[in-house]
Order: sequence, then structure tokens, then C-alpha cells
Amino acid sequence: MKTVVSCKHLNKIYRQGQIEVKALTDINLDVIAGDFICLSGPSGSGKSTLLNMIGGLDSPTSGEIIVDGQHVDKMSKSELAELRLHKIGFVFQAYNLIPVLTAKENVEMVMQMQGDSKQYRNEHSLAILKEVGLEGLENRKPAELSGGQQQRVAVARAIVDKPCLVLADEPTANLDSKNADNLLQMMREMGEQHQMTFIVSTHDPMVMERARRLIKLHDGKIIENNKQH
Amino acid sequence: MSHITSLLMSLAWRNLWRNKRRTLVILFAIVLGVWAMIFTAAFMRGMSSQILSDTINNLTGHIQIHSKQYLDDPVIDHRFSLIDDQLFESLNNVLIKQTSSRVRVPAVIVSERESTGLVMVGINPDNENGMSFLQSSIVEGRYLKDENDSGIIIGRKLAERLETRLGKRVVIMSQDKDNKIVDRGFRIVGIFDTQMEALETGYIFMGLQTSEDLLNIKNEVSEVSILLHDMNQLDELVADLQQQNPHLDVQGWAQLEPMSRVIIELYDSFHLVWHLIVFLAMGFGIVNTLLMSVFERTREFGLFQSLGLKPGFIMGQVWVESTLLLMLGLFLGNIIAWWSVLATGEGIDVSAFAQGMEMANLSNIIPFVIITKDLVLANSVVIILGMLTSIYPAWRASRLVPADAITRV
Amino acid sequence: MISVKLKLIYTCLLFLISTSVNAVDARQLIKDAIDHFRGLTSYSEASMIIHRPDWQRSMDMKIWTQGLDRSLVRVTAPKKDMGNGSLLIDDDMWSYTPKINKVIKIPSSMAHQSWMGSDFSNNDVARADDLIEKYSHKILETRQQDGVTIYVIESVPHEDAPVVWGKEILTVRDDHVLLEHKFYDQDGILVKQLTTLEIKFIAGKNLATIERMQKVDAQGEWTEFRLHHIEFDADINKSTFTLSNLRNPRF
Ligand SMILES: Nc1ncnc2c1ncn2[C@@H]1O[C@H](COP(=O)(O)OP(=O)(O)OP(=O)(O)O)[C@@H](O)[C@H]1O
Ligand SMILES: [Mg+2]
Repeated sequence: MKTVVSCKHLNKIYRQGQIEVKALTDINLDVIAGDFICLSGPSGSGKSTLLNMIGGLDSPTSGEIIVDGQHVDKMSKSELAELRLHKIGFVFQAYNLIPVLTAKENVEMVMQMQGDSKQYRNEHSLAILKEVGLEGLENRKPAELSGGQQQRVAVARAIVDKPCLVLADEPTANLDSKNADNLLQMMREMGEQHQMTFIVSTHDPMVMERARRLIKLHDGKIIENNKQH
Repeated sequence: MSHITSLLMSLAWRNLWRNKRRTLVILFAIVLGVWAMIFTAAFMRGMSSQILSDTINNLTGHIQIHSKQYLDDPVIDHRFSLIDDQLFESLNNVLIKQTSSRVRVPAVIVSERESTGLVMVGINPDNENGMSFLQSSIVEGRYLKDENDSGIIIGRKLAERLETRLGKRVVIMSQDKDNKIVDRGFRIVGIFDTQMEALETGYIFMGLQTSEDLLNIKNEVSEVSILLHDMNQLDELVADLQQQNPHLDVQGWAQLEPMSRVIIELYDSFHLVWHLIVFLAMGFGIVNTLLMSVFERTREFGLFQSLGLKPGFIMGQVWVESTLLLMLGLFLGNIIAWWSVLATGEGIDVSAFAQGMEMANLSNIIPFVIITKDLVLANSVVIILGMLTSIYPAWRASRLVPADAITRV
Repeated sequence: MISVKLKLIYTCLLFLISTSVNAVDARQLIKDAIDHFRGLTSYSEASMIIHRPDWQRSMDMKIWTQGLDRSLVRVTAPKKDMGNGSLLIDDDMWSYTPKINKVIKIPSSMAHQSWMGSDFSNNDVARADDLIEKYSHKILETRQQDGVTIYVIESVPHEDAPVVWGKEILTVRDDHVLLEHKFYDQDGILVKQLTTLEIKFIAGKNLATIERMQKVDAQGEWTEFRLHHIEFDADINKSTFTLSNLRNPRF
């Protein structure tokens, strides 16, 4: 099986004046294609930091990260942007959407940047919004959608161009359990359907249950790395 | 690239109307600035065109021909003959709209109570029409009938100074061609009134023939004043006339009236300075507002980056946004400036400051003149400097670190 | 010198008038008087007093004349003006100042300015003889007084005459003495006036020996011309009136 993400001896130290915060310490991790990984741990354990490193939004203090065969730690800003555009989808805890664009336009935006034709964009964005259960709400602005609906749009946008890796940082934190369950369900289905790899961070035990592999972090270290189902 | 451009445009346009109040305030500032630039430029252009037309009207014309020494010593000795085939032929130029020959010599005017030195001008009243201020400035009595008219026209201020008036006789003294004193009584048939005191007290007008008779000359004049169809051909014609009449002195208005030229050039060069001053005030507003909106949207820019949009795109977005704002402001500013210039009609009456204006050789009514060059200058200053200025906030936006930007909710 | 010239004209006038008492044509009277004077030469000594409300100055001078066209004036006192001279030939006038040893031709622009600060203008002196021709003259009144006939003549300048006055009124006696010369503006208002204050019998003639020129709207300002001595038919010829003599202190 192909390895999509590989972290070796990854360290991240934040410096705040005199104080050093070891956010990640010697992380070694391989993620294979099509996996659905859950990243859990108490607040401040380094989940967001790890996801940001993998997505190239932040750079590690030492160690290496390889995403789809490319050394993320050695890439320039614009190479990183290219990588994210074509290979990585992001879903954040909140405020995922561009407020001035409609749900459909938010989804289309990434395709538009990749140069897809208008017709292709139109078809695919409508189809994916339908898939995430937002049929009929395509032309609403984010402010006119509920939190759960917004997160679905974010997921739709993250997966619409079928990236090999989707990084979701507490996507269900602001949702009730029913909505959270639906979203998780949907993400898993999408992952299986489109052969995408998901790494999802969460505090939510229900999310952890849905994951194929559960990784637990504590104080920036991996303390558990279990295959579940 | 077009897909990126259209995305940029629609993002920028929508972001513009996100905070309507702020956008309207800055739009108002731009419109006001553009209006101030164009309106002031129109006023200054009006002033300088007024100075120019006054200069040309005040017996200067576009071009003048004199005898070689006349300009250094404008006396009867330095006259030239009009019976001159070469001169006649060269004045038959298609570029020339109108010519007027004048006798113009120093003289003394005497009333019962006062006397003063001035310049006596003998004119052909018909030729002078449309070429100098005189006919339209007659406020009492009449204009000269013909070049044999035995009356004279004097300025209102001069009449006051001499304690004389329309219908009275005054004595004019001068020197004839043999430098003998000649004098004669003349009746005042017309009084003229101009904004320029120097003109009103310094000149009297009589028929060309009458003046020649007084000075004992025949078909000889002090100057020929020329009006062109198109002032742009002035240098060309001056060169031609000078070459064809080497024994005479041919000069354009700018050489004849260097003060006017300097003032006009000064006004011209002030345009850019004024625009820069206005822009300075406006530019601060633009940069501040843009920076504010950039900081407010920090998270959004982080989001764009995490979606794989390059810093250049983010910069472009802010930049396009401010450019749209500038263009909108320019559009409205131009329209309002046009409208306000049209609304002023003939121009504005500055007679409240008339004394200062008279000293600057200006009339009381200043017209507003909009010319393409000034419009282009004002608009270019705003758009070019505006676009350069908004590079800074745009660059700030692109420099946000995505991880910080996103986590900083 | 101005006054000299004026004086001479008036004197001539008188001559004429007296010789043709019966004539009613004033212009002819004047013209004859001038013609009569044409051949006459004179040498005289006189003084001019310029009076202002707060000061007064006096100037003594010698005057040579030939007819109406030529005269030479030399100032003899006070010291600071001594040697100043004026020469009049036809309509042209020159002045000489020994301090700067310069002869200056009086330009036309100064023709109407005051002569030596007096109430006479340069032009009062230099006016041409033929100016008489540019007036219409009329005898307004003839009256007897103290055994002499007095004529009042009104002279109105022609349209193109180089004269600013509306009219001039002269009062003369049949013994050639000008009593009064009034200058009126074109509205008929008196502007200035020349008055004879003293008449004496010298050199075989009755002559006005004190004359005063006064502007009407400047009371307390006047110029007097006082004749002390005069000889007619003196030994004077044309060569007296030259620019070199103007510089020559002998004259
Ligand atoms: N920009 C930063 N500067 C300094 N310290 C930071 C920064 N970002 C994160 N940290 C620190 O790094 C550690 C890991 O933070 P991180 O956000 O990854 O935790 P987390 O597991 O995502 O927590 P949560 O469940 O609350 O989101 C924390 O101790 C945090 O204080
Ligand atoms: Mg976190």
C-alpha cells in the first residue's frame, strides 16, 4: 500500500520570549492511502500543530514530512500552495468558508483555481453538494447556513477535486452529536468512495469510534497508535 | 489566467460592498479628491487662459511686427512703412486670421487741470475689432467710426484723473517725425473701462489716419499686430515672417509679454503639485482603510492560503479591490467635476478680490476650463499613485502566516 | 522767461487795440498788435516771486527778447539758482544748469509742467504766436475808465486748437496794458487768472510792472512777475539766441 504521509523525528518548538513550548516531540508516523485516521488527545497536546505541519501551513523545527512523495519541509511557499491546491483538502473547526461567496462558489473556487472549465465546475459542485445533503442550498451565503451545513460545505470543498489527503481539525467541535455523526458518516463514505485519506483531529469519542486508526497524543508525543477496524 | 482574473474580480467587487459604510466613506474621499483636482485644475486653467486672452487682447495679439529698435525704444523714429511688397506678401499667409496696423508712440494728454504722459495709439477701428479689448470695453460715448475719426477714446480712470469727461476737449502732445513738438485739441468721443488700471490710464486711442496726420507721417506705422487661426502655428509663422522680413522685428506674445508667459507657466506647473497635495491626503485614507479591512480579514486570507492560493493571489485580491474603488471614485469624481464646472456657467466672479486680481492682470470673471491634458493628469495621478499606494496593504495581506492567520480567530 | 513772452504778447495786443480804436474785430486787433511787435527787441531786468502759504521765494533775472519767437533768460539771484538759463526759439525750449553744465531740451511731456516751480507752465511761455489764429475773438465790452478805454475780449479756442481752456477773457486798456487774463474750463468755471497789480510809465510806455498768476482753487498760492527795468530796441540780434550763449555766463 502506498504511503501518503510520512513524518520522521518531527519536532516543533514554539518560542514565546524566554519560554519554549515543545508542541511536538519526535513524531514518527506513516499514513497509508485510503486510511481514515483519528487524532485525539487533550487540549494543547499538539493535534492542530501536527495537522498544520503536514499541510505545510507551518514549518517544523526539525525532522521531515513527506506528503505523496514530496518533502514538505523543504518546499517554498508557492510550492506548498501548489501542493495544498492539488493534493490536500482542509476542513477547520469553524469559519471555513469565504463569507462573500455562496456555498456553490466556495466549492467551485478551488476548481476554478485549478483551471477547470465552467461546465465541469458547475456539474461537480452541484453533485458534491447534493452528496453532502445540501441540495437546494447551493446559492446561500455562509451566514445563511447553519453550523453543520457550513461544515458540510467545507467538507464538500475539501474533497471536490479529490485530493489524496484531507486534513480536518476538529470538524465536529461546533456541531451537535447528530450532525457530528452525519458529517463523520459522510466523510467516511466519501473517503471510501473516492479513495481519499483522512486525518481528523477530535476530542469526540464518537469520532474516535468511526476511525480506522486512532492516534493519541499527549504533550506533543504519540502515546497510542492503534488500528481499530 | 482568465479564470483567476474573474475570480479575483468577483471577490474584490463583493468584498468592496461587505462593509458598505467604510467603502462609501473612502469612496467619498476619493470622489472629493478627484473633484478638487479637476475643479481646481479647471480654475487654474481658466485663470491662465484668461491671462492669455487678456494678454492677447491688450493690444498684443499673437504676433507683432515692429521696426528693429522699436521694442527697446518705442518712439516715432522707430516706425516702418506699410508700402512694402515683401511685407504685404508675407502678411498674405493662410495661417493669419487678422492683422491690424497701429501707430503707437508716447504722448502727453492735457486737460484744464492735469496732464500726464501715456501711450497714444492710432488704430483702424475695423481691423481692431475682435482683436483687442477696445470696442467691447466702451462704456460711454462711442467707438471710433473710422481711421479718420477726429475724436479720441480714453479710459475711465484717466478721465477721472484728468478731471475731464465724455464730450470734453483735451490736448494731445507728441513729437512728429522730425522730433518737433506737435499738439492738437481732441474731443473725447468715447470712454473705455477695463479691469486693468494700467490700460485705462496708460493708453488713448484715435484714428490711424488722424494720428499719422498729427505726427506728419504717411503709410507708416509703429506695429502690425497679427492674430492666427491656430495658436499652435505661432512659432512656425514667427520664423517665416522673420525670415521674409529681415529688416523688421517679429515676435510672438510670449516674448512680448514675458510676465504673462511666466505666470502661465507657473500655473501650469502648479497643477501637478496641487494634485500631489490632494493625493497625499487621499492616499493616507486609502491605505488606512485598506489596512483596516486587511486585518479584519486575517483569517480569511489564512483560509485562502490553506486552500492553496498563492500569496500573489491574495495580494492581487486586495489590489484589485482598491483599484476598483479608485476607478469608481474616479468615474464619479469626473462626473461631478464636469457637472460642477458646467454649473458655474460663464465662470466665477472674483470681484471681491478684484484688487489683487487687477494687480495680477486678471479680469473679474474667471471661467472654468477643462482640457483633456488636465483630466488625464488628474486621473493618472489618482490611478497610478493609488495603485502604487495600495500595494502596501496588499503586500501586508500576502505576508500573513497561514497557520497564525487561521488560528487567530 | 515765460512771463516775458506772455507779457510781450499782451503788450502787443494793447498796441494794436490802441491804434485802431474804432475797430470792432477783436481778432484783427490782436493780429495787428502781434505784427507790430514782431520787429521789436528788448532787454529787461525782472524778478519772479513764487508764493505759497508756508514759504515764498524770489528770483531775479535778465531777459533778452527778439520779437515773439526768441528769448533768453538768465537767473542772477538767489545764489543757488544763479546762472540758470532758458532759451526759447520758436516752439522749442532748452534749459541750462551751470551746476551740471548741461543743456537740456524740454521734452514735450514736460510742456505742461511748472516752470521753475512757479504757477506758469513751460507751455505758457512757449506757446506759438500763431495760436492766436486758433481762437475766435470777440469784444464783449468797451468801457471808459480813468480816461482810458478798456476792452474786454473773449477768446474761444477752435475745436482742434492745442488749448485746453473753454474760453479765455482778457481785459486790456487802450494804452496796451493788460489788466486781467482769465482762463475758464470747458464748463465755464474760472481756473486761473493773471492780474496786473501795478502799471508804470517806463521806457516811454505804460507797462504792467507787477503781474500775478493765481489758480482759483489754490488760494494763497501765486506767482508774481515784477519788471524793474526795460530797454527797447536794444543792441540785440539773432545770434544772441544760441545754445552756446545759453551756456555763456556773460549773458
Ligand atoms: N503559535 C503558537 N505559539 C506558541 N505556542 C503555540 C502556538 N501554537 C500552539 N502552541 C502551543 O503548542 C501546543 C500544542 O498546541 P495545539 O494547538 O497543537 O494543541 P491542540 O492539541 O490542537 O489543542 P486543542 O484540542 O485545544 O485544539 C500548546 O501547548 C500550545 O500552547
Ligand atoms: Mg487544536
